[in-house]
Amino acid sequence: MDIIIPPLVLGSLGMILGVLIFLVGKYFGVEEDHRIDDIEKMLPKYNCGACGFAGCRDMAKALLTGSCRAESCKPIKKEDQENLNRYLDELLQGIPVTK
Amino acid sequence: MAELIAIAFAAFFVENVLLTQFLGICSFIGVGKKRSSSLGMGLAVVVVIILSSVVTWIIYNFVMVPLEIEFMKTIVFILVIAALVQMIEIIIKRFSPSLYKALGIYLPLITTNCAVLGVALTNVKEGYNFSQMIVYATAIPLGYLFVMYIYAIIREKMEFSPIPKAFQGIPIAMVLAAILALIFSRFGGLA
Repeated sequence: MDIIIPPLVLGSLGMILGVLIFLVGKYFGVEEDHRIDDIEKMLPKYNCGACGFAGCRDMAKALLTGSCRAESCKPIKKEDQENLNRYLDELLQGIPVTK
Repeated sequence: MAELIAIAFAAFFVENVLLTQFLGICSFIGVGKKRSSSLGMGLAVVVVIILSSVVTWIIYNFVMVPLEIEFMKTIVFILVIAALVQMIEIIIKRFSPSLYKALGIYLPLITTNCAVLGVALTNVKEGYNFSQMIVYATAIPLGYLFVMYIYAIIREKMEFSPIPKAFQGIPIAMVLAAILALIFSRFGGLA
């Protein structure tokens, strides 16, 4: 019987904390542009910093505003880079060029 | 009262978390370059250590001791601290985006800052009661903040000093930390 207690305590503690994080995330979470998530998925997520930004998410934000190119990412795979460029081109299509 | 003051003084100077116990050195070297970021990091550590100490102390004394599973304290504390840091991160992001940005990668890294786990484990090892635990868990991160701020001031000044090429960057920072630790070791006789 003694052997049941430790995993039970740890499991229920994990469950309680998980629910708490979920609730905090639900009521205090900040909703961000879903396009940032889409772009971040295509980046390698190494957070290497070779692009000059603080991590992949920071670069995804910069890509979205058009202030940097996918070529700035050094460790990205060829196919991912093509996907990313296609995604960005589609995204920026139809937006008039402002001077 | 005298006992609480003794605990606070010992935690702040004699057993300084950075220079005597050598916990949390990673963030000390990493963030200790600039005064502003060292202050932000120090304050985040103060909040996280006080909160996590209270929660782990309650769980230890009211759940783990009655069930006689004290041997699980390390893994349970790691779980609790990781979850707390997650929640604090979400809340800071909501209410203070500027602080969130200033802390950057170091906020999630508090999860693996051994000073936080070290304080939680010391609380139960020494068998502190609630008020002693609060005093200890406040004095330790304040000592962290104090030392980190001194360190950042000296490192900012060192930017303009002629340092031999082989010592530039991290090596001279290590030498500086060693000299500070030597100074703090003189508090050892007071406890």
